[in-house]
Amino acid sequence: MGTDRYAYQSRLRRVSPMPKLLLTAVVLAICLCCDSVAVGLFTLILMGVLITALGGLSPRVYLHFLKVPLIFLVIGCLTIVAGAYPAGTEMAAAIPVGDSLWGFTPDGLWLGGRIFCKALGAVGCMYFLSLNTPVTDLTMALEKLHVPKLLVELMELIYRFIFVLGSTAANIHTAQDSRLGYQGFRRSVSSLGMLSSMVFLRAWRKAERIYTALESRGYTGSLTTLTDAYRPGWGLLPLTALLGAGQVAIWFAEGRLLP
Amino acid sequence: MKAIQAEELCYTYEDGTVALDHITFAAEQGKVTGILGANGAGKSTLFLSLNGVLTPQSGRVLLGGAPVDYHKKGLLELRRRVGIVFQDPDDQLFSADVYRDVSFGGVNLGLPAEEVRRRVEKALERTGVSHLRDKPTHALSYGQKKRVAIAGVLVMEPEVLILDEPTAGLDPQGVSDIMKLLTRLRNELGMTVLIATHDMDIVPLYCDYAYLLGGGKVLLEGTPEALFADPAALRANHLRLPRIAHLMEVLRDVDGLDADRSAATIGAARREILRMLKEENQ
Repeated sequence: MGTDRYAYQSRLRRVSPMPKLLLTAVVLAICLCCDSVAVGLFTLILMGVLITALGGLSPRVYLHFLKVPLIFLVIGCLTIVAGAYPAGTEMAAAIPVGDSLWGFTPDGLWLGGRIFCKALGAVGCMYFLSLNTPVTDLTMALEKLHVPKLLVELMELIYRFIFVLGSTAANIHTAQDSRLGYQGFRRSVSSLGMLSSMVFLRAWRKAERIYTALESRGYTGSLTTLTDAYRPGWGLLPLTALLGAGQVAIWFAEGRLLP
Repeated sequence: MKAIQAEELCYTYEDGTVALDHITFAAEQGKVTGILGANGAGKSTLFLSLNGVLTPQSGRVLLGGAPVDYHKKGLLELRRRVGIVFQDPDDQLFSADVYRDVSFGGVNLGLPAEEVRRRVEKALERTGVSHLRDKPTHALSYGQKKRVAIAGVLVMEPEVLILDEPTAGLDPQGVSDIMKLLTRLRNELGMTVLIATHDMDIVPLYCDYAYLLGGGKVLLEGTPEALFADPAALRANHLRLPRIAHLMEVLRDVDGLDADRSAATIGAARREILRMLKEENQ
């Protein structure tokens, strides 16, 4: 969990998850609704500034985190933009294949650009949330928002035991590898099969033991806990309003400047 | 006074394994009692019966002299007063947030939030993990997880604290830290501590009384010194004497010295050796 590690070091870590969730939701909604290049880029840059200035993350790490979605977005948008058109269509760039033109139309490019920037802005919003809020705080917030308790508890348990089972799997893998279990394709496949069945069996046994341990601490059907005290984070509320207003202003400005 | 007692406790698992076979034992209030036994001797089953996770098929458990009530209310009361720390902390820590995991037992007692917070602070401080509150559980070392697991039980402020193999998998410093913590709990809070272990070297140092379990039965009981006087019984149960006591045994049986076999700690061995030297010089 790359982002989670940074969330625990964030300066906003102790701020209540609610205002952070609100800020993310508002900015995300406006960014998606405006559907514009300028608003998307504005959102991305603003979120970068918030993450580095408020959260204390180094800009290098933020840029690194942007790389992965960027690759997906470029590929995704290319498939939307590129296409085959009948001969005679007004094209921005194209090569003739048979009696049709393969390439980009100006309209298509414009659409692709809008989607690309909108998605980037949305990625920025989600990074603001995930780089400043540990998952456990997020589930706590979901519980307050009346998401069904069963779902929230499952999320929490799954999140915790991803790491436990992950390290189990890593240990088994090392043990197999040290006995040459991954030499060659056939052996790798059979070793991996054994690994998965072992992890499944251990998960099963672990679940039983966890239940026993929970029971001995007075578990009666709900995993209710208390969090360490949060800072209320009131400062984020006017900031949210300001950001939203900025986005809308950019949207109007763009509408004026462009025909 | 006996803090917790078991009388003629029996438990057989569904597959026919007899885990407890008429076990009678008692742990003195404010003492550390060791339960010694090989793997599969019935230690874990005994502990789960003492905390009400398993209901004994016959016999009974007495807490503070009164028999345990296995109805819902009585069980909650039993689990408040008798806390178990499991061997693998990953079995016990269910939350990725240290603070929330520790608070779990307190919340289950139905205490007001401020009281739970006060207890969490105290438990974190007592176990020396206050500085870990901001870390996710998966970023902790094994020894740190173990301490957090203990804090999660202390938050319920139990009278009896049961620990299954508390020193397994820890480095020597970790072992010494955990055992000192348990000694502090006994001395400062008068807590009754029960530890299952096969780490024989800690027994003479930290246990006030000990039981030897084998095949679901109590085979021996007494002070650690009394138990070490019967090394054959320990060895028959896949255990051994503490290293120092073994040295004393060799000095006595092989070298024909007048060494006291029950001297099992460095301090006791030192006194014993000095005494023998003095006698030789006279």
